[in-house]
Amino acid sequence: MLPDGTLEVENTVRAVLRDVLGISEARAAAFTEATPLFGALPELDSLAVAGVLTEIEDRLGILIEDDEVDGEMLESFGSLTRFAASKALK
Amino acid sequence: MIDYYDWPGGREAMLRFGPADGPVVVAALPLFEEANRTRTFVVTILRLLAARGIASVLPDLPGTGESLVPTAEAKLRTMREAFAAVPGSYAIAIRSGALLDASERKGRWHLSPQSGPELLHELNRLRQAGGAEDFGGNLLSPALLTDLDTAEAELARVVRLESDPKPADRKFSGAPLWRRAEPDNDLPLATLLADDIAAWVRACEG
Repeated sequence: MLPDGTLEVENTVRAVLRDVLGISEARAAAFTEATPLFGALPELDSLAVAGVLTEIEDRLGILIEDDEVDGEMLESFGSLTRFAASKALK
Repeated sequence: MIDYYDWPGGREAMLRFGPADGPVVVAALPLFEEANRTRTFVVTILRLLAARGIASVLPDLPGTGESLVPTAEAKLRTMREAFAAVPGSYAIAIRSGALLDASERKGRWHLSPQSGPELLHELNRLRQAGGAEDFGGNLLSPALLTDLDTAEAELARVVRLESDPKPADRKFSGAPLWRRAEPDNDLPLATLLADDIAAWVRACEG
């Protein structure tokens, strides 16, 4: 089943960050909309970004184009979730 | 135990587990970086199979593992040919390892199989992220990339993780270890998968 609500998309993105970056359940659960990601999470280097995006694509059944990937989209947990929701819920 | 097998293009090493008799399961790791991330996990599954009385082998294929063939010269055709030369009635594969399993077997079992185009999509993203000609640290031949463009897995019993929306014969709870930058292991998941493989082999054997 593909996630069909904003909260489900948020939980999917949270689970992807936890699973791909190997961070603890507690740390992932504490992510809020304002939590900074790229440049702030040491685990999230550019190769890890590639894994995060591909895993989000697989779990949400979406395709992310290369020109859609920029610093703004990866800036915070909120911006990444909003981007994923805009693709998954349209 | 370390052993060797011969294929028409040479000789490669393989790890052997379990009893000397009964059906043998041949295992294929995913291609490239995911092989490093899942080797410990797959060896754990094969040891658990041995404890369940089922023998297995984990071969190096030309261009992978300890093979003397450089990764940049790896070809899908030769990897498939070598995998086919490894004796065993059953094949199990993880992720893009499913693409290597094209030989005659009594049965196949695939965990989260990845198609050639899906793998290419990911490789291209890795190359972009690195900003150079390599794909996440690997130089790959144009021939291999062309072959992957149309490569698909054969029909198999397919198992996936619960987080994966694609259809499967059975789903298991667990995290995708093949995505972790730091190799990790998951004994509870390995145990569930070994139980599933053992039951499947016994069902196929009748």
